[in-house]
Amino acid sequence: MKDIARQSMSIKVESMDLLNGQIKMEAHASATYLAMASWCEQNGFFTSAKFFYKQSEEERGHMMKIFEFLVDTGGNPVSPEVTNINHDYSSIVDVFENTLEHEVAVTKSIHNIVKKARELGDLATERFLDWFVLEQVEEENTIRDILDMIEVTGTEGVGLQMIDNQVANWIE
Amino acid sequence: MNVIVQTSYYTLYQSAKERSFYVDFGQKMVRMSLCQLLALRYKLMSIPIENHFDGDLNKHGFEVLLLCNKEHLLVLNTYEILDLKQFVEQSFMALGLSVEAETVTI
Repeated sequence: MKDIARQSMSIKVESMDLLNGQIKMEAHASATYLAMASWCEQNGFFTSAKFFYKQSEEERGHMMKIFEFLVDTGGNPVSPEVTNINHDYSSIVDVFENTLEHEVAVTKSIHNIVKKARELGDLATERFLDWFVLEQVEEENTIRDILDMIEVTGTEGVGLQMIDNQVANWIE
Repeated sequence: MNVIVQTSYYTLYQSAKERSFYVDFGQKMVRMSLCQLLALRYKLMSIPIENHFDGDLNKHGFEVLLLCNKEHLLVLNTYEILDLKQFVEQSFMALGLSVEAETVTI
């Protein structure tokens, strides 16, 4: 009997479900960074706003990468519903601390999919996610560096203005 | 056509000649591609079955399913939905595209 199913699709549905979950997470991250950009614009942190616009674009890029992978493997990518975007932050430090928390959550989720793909023997998904694993190391490192810079600069006096100016160093 | 999976209400057939699948829904036989089976799976996963046991959330205990680019419309009761969930899960396992053990039992 011909294996029509395997000829039509090259990953397991369990991997597909997890990747669809990751699509949603990346879309949520993109929308969250856009909300952060909005907060920065409204509170006079214009360089940080530029940084978050860029981050938002990057997250959407990640989402599309996974979306296209699901298309390539014959899966069923689902356009995500994005809700519960927080627009309230108490300070620029709060914004960057939330960013780091978000990135850590994304990293954990990616690692979880890699482990599951390995369990399923889904080599294509596992190899595809290699790029994301390394990308998350870079993303987390960037935010940690910014938080370190904030710590060193301090938020007193012209500190906040200096912090915002320094964020330019992390906009490629 | 080869029978792939059969449950109380549904049967999945594979037609190697047409490179597609057929699902016998009892009321009608529907030709489906793998993409359409995946879409059916997604729709079933999105159904909050627990609402069927809450008179306020789902008064009548029915679900309306549109399949194959709105070509087919099915109205299914709770038993049929539960069986369809099990049927789809077993189908993907039988097709070698899922490795998870059954989680739905009727």
